[in-house]
Amino acid sequence: MTSLDRRRFLAVSAGTALAATGLSACAGSVDNGTNGSGSGKTTLTVMTVENEWDKKGLKAAEEALGMDLNVIIWDATKLNAMLAAKNPPDVVRGFGATETPYFAARGLMTDLDPYFAKSSVLKPSDLDPVNDVWRYDGKKQGAGPRYGMAKDYSQDSMFWYRTDLFEAAKLDVPGATDPISYDEWLDLGKKLVKRRLGKVKVYGLNATGMGVFPQLMGMTASAGGSLFAEDLATVDFSSPEALKALRWYLDYAKADIGPSVVNPNPDGWDGPTYQANRMAMSCNGYWFGGLIGADPKLAEVSRFAPAPQLGGNRVSSCFGATGFWIPRDAKNKDAAWKFFEWYFAGKPAQDRAASGWGIPSLKSLRPNMPQTNAFQKQAFQVQEQELPHFSVLSFTPYAQQAALEGVLNKVLPGAVKSGTSAGKVADQLNSRMNEALAQGKELVG
Amino acid sequence: MSTEQITAPGAPSPSGGTAARPGPRTRAHAGRGPRSLTTRRAWAFYVFAAPWVLGFLALTAFPLGYALWLSLTNADGLSQNSRFVGLENYREVLTDPETMSSLARTGVFVAITVPLSIAAGLLLAVLVNQPIRARGLFRTLLYLPAIVPPVGAALTFKLIFDRDSGAANGVLDALHVNGVSWLMDPYARWVLVTLTLWGAGNTMIISLAGLQDIPKELHEAARVDGANAWQSFTKITVPMLSPVLFFQVITGIIAAVQSFLPLLISLDPTPRGVTSVPESNYLFMINVFAQYFANGRYGYASAMLWLLFLIIVAITFLVFRLSKGAVFYSVDPEAAKPSRQRTIGGK
Repeated sequence: MTSLDRRRFLAVSAGTALAATGLSACAGSVDNGTNGSGSGKTTLTVMTVENEWDKKGLKAAEEALGMDLNVIIWDATKLNAMLAAKNPPDVVRGFGATETPYFAARGLMTDLDPYFAKSSVLKPSDLDPVNDVWRYDGKKQGAGPRYGMAKDYSQDSMFWYRTDLFEAAKLDVPGATDPISYDEWLDLGKKLVKRRLGKVKVYGLNATGMGVFPQLMGMTASAGGSLFAEDLATVDFSSPEALKALRWYLDYAKADIGPSVVNPNPDGWDGPTYQANRMAMSCNGYWFGGLIGADPKLAEVSRFAPAPQLGGNRVSSCFGATGFWIPRDAKNKDAAWKFFEWYFAGKPAQDRAASGWGIPSLKSLRPNMPQTNAFQKQAFQVQEQELPHFSVLSFTPYAQQAALEGVLNKVLPGAVKSGTSAGKVADQLNSRMNEALAQGKELVG
Repeated sequence: MSTEQITAPGAPSPSGGTAARPGPRTRAHAGRGPRSLTTRRAWAFYVFAAPWVLGFLALTAFPLGYALWLSLTNADGLSQNSRFVGLENYREVLTDPETMSSLARTGVFVAITVPLSIAAGLLLAVLVNQPIRARGLFRTLLYLPAIVPPVGAALTFKLIFDRDSGAANGVLDALHVNGVSWLMDPYARWVLVTLTLWGAGNTMIISLAGLQDIPKELHEAARVDGANAWQSFTKITVPMLSPVLFFQVITGIIAAVQSFLPLLISLDPTPRGVTSVPESNYLFMINVFAQYFANGRYGYASAMLWLLFLIIVAITFLVFRLSKGAVFYSVDPEAAKPSRQRTIGGK
């Protein structure tokens, strides 16, 4: 036997390490349908939010599906890493409205049209139009193959308000049919805010429940314009419509009447703040009613209103349409579709529809929406009147929402403090966002 | 089990002479070549070292090499069309004002927090080294913040310093003083510094261990010679503690340059949340995270990390050079090289 010198040892070690890496990658591409559990049952890896199921709910889901569920808590960085390694979860939770073009343009999503065509449970004719945000034809959103499905949705520029705080401020409540203007909304917020020694004790208004960028998109659309160019490769904040939206947001942030890029809500969302009597108006869609409806005292003083409008073009879009999609490299696609049928049309979907946490994404489930008490009836009625104004606002495939929000977060706080004009802010936003979009376009081609 | 006698090459053999290579072998090994024992020893060494070497190759060398490759591309991790861009990312890193300002901000953060943490830790260590009642309790209490998980500490600070519902402004409120936006500029950086110093129990425990290693006789002798407490501290304690302080400087700089978790005080740890960090706390690692996961610029962010790696190596080298003459070793480091001395002497 010859001596094993250091050089050979290192070479062998390196080879072993690389082989191990390679082997694990190969193993990832094998679809034997019986991975993981060792019990012979399929294990479906689902990336979703932490509170999707409790222990009991998870067990019930596994029994209903006849498969084991390996739940991974949703994490954008982890998802990107798994997608990059071509070892993604079988089913991924996501925002159809803002994520579909990005992932679809990179060829990371499975075309679900063949599955929908074969399904006797999820029929295209039964799909609510909101599911179109999960479609992308390579150029625009809303057309082309279906890449995912919404579990439920809302028109996210609509808002909730507390009648008790309006009464205390001796103000008339907003109408249930005709939308108010953004200027009227801001004015109401200023009148409803309560301060003490430099601190806001009660926010008058939170103007953005789903992020600033989508809200600006919706505002610009309601003013008759569009933030994105037709090819979705550039933004233009300098157009009169976009400038109007930007100016409004700068005024709102400067007024310091609610959470903004200058003073974010530490809770991260409106629920706890609204519930604690610390917010008079909250810009969240129908889904927020699920939280309100669970608290009878809160339900008694809460009402729903149409989306404010910046101009004459009445638009009330959805910025989320949260649902699931199946990555192109998923190992158990058939099992994933089984999960789809159960989750989107089975008992979970029926329960969700009845809970008030969002509008069901199947037309057949809409009668399940709650309409028992006065609060539910009012919310349902306002929501029904709003539905005809729904439209899909195409998001860009060249950047993730986080990147565009990042530019807003870098530019707007300084601008609010220094009082920079909206025109100059628009120029900065155009320059920085278009640079990011150009980099993305180079990669997508 | 082998009955082989293990004898180190060059060591005296049982028979009294010096064993020539190879050492004595049993009959079982006879005829298997003169280097059999060396080979067996080599195998043993390599087998025992293999887990670490494999771990290093798979988990350190490979990722480093991959990151180096990424830094030469415009990859976003997900697109198929990424291409080799040479040193373009490095050029951009060095000319991007935002990246450079985040680096400069990190430098200021290091310059503030490292000396303050070490000084605070040393002060606390000196205090809890005194022969006082309930000394153990004080040591425990002061060390507790250091073992609170960083994320928990950051979130606690976030709640304390929230402008509208935080306890800090609650106190000001009770005093009829206007509240402050602690988590926004220009206060955010000082909240971050406070959070960093809050964990000074770590440096305290290391300094305390160093203090307890200083022979009491030295302080007694100084007292006999008329030295006061300050002279005793500066002329005996600090020099004797200098290797420990030097260790804290090196590790403190490396940790502070890579600071990320404490910044959770002003954000939620999602890519979108990271981009909302106030300007004064927008340190280099936050920028790296945002480039990776918000902007999807894997290539550019990898170049940033390689630059940071080189900066840390340079700073470490510089600090080592500057420490000569400032760090007092009770054991002469040169004396730790006997074999070389002997070899030279032997010649």
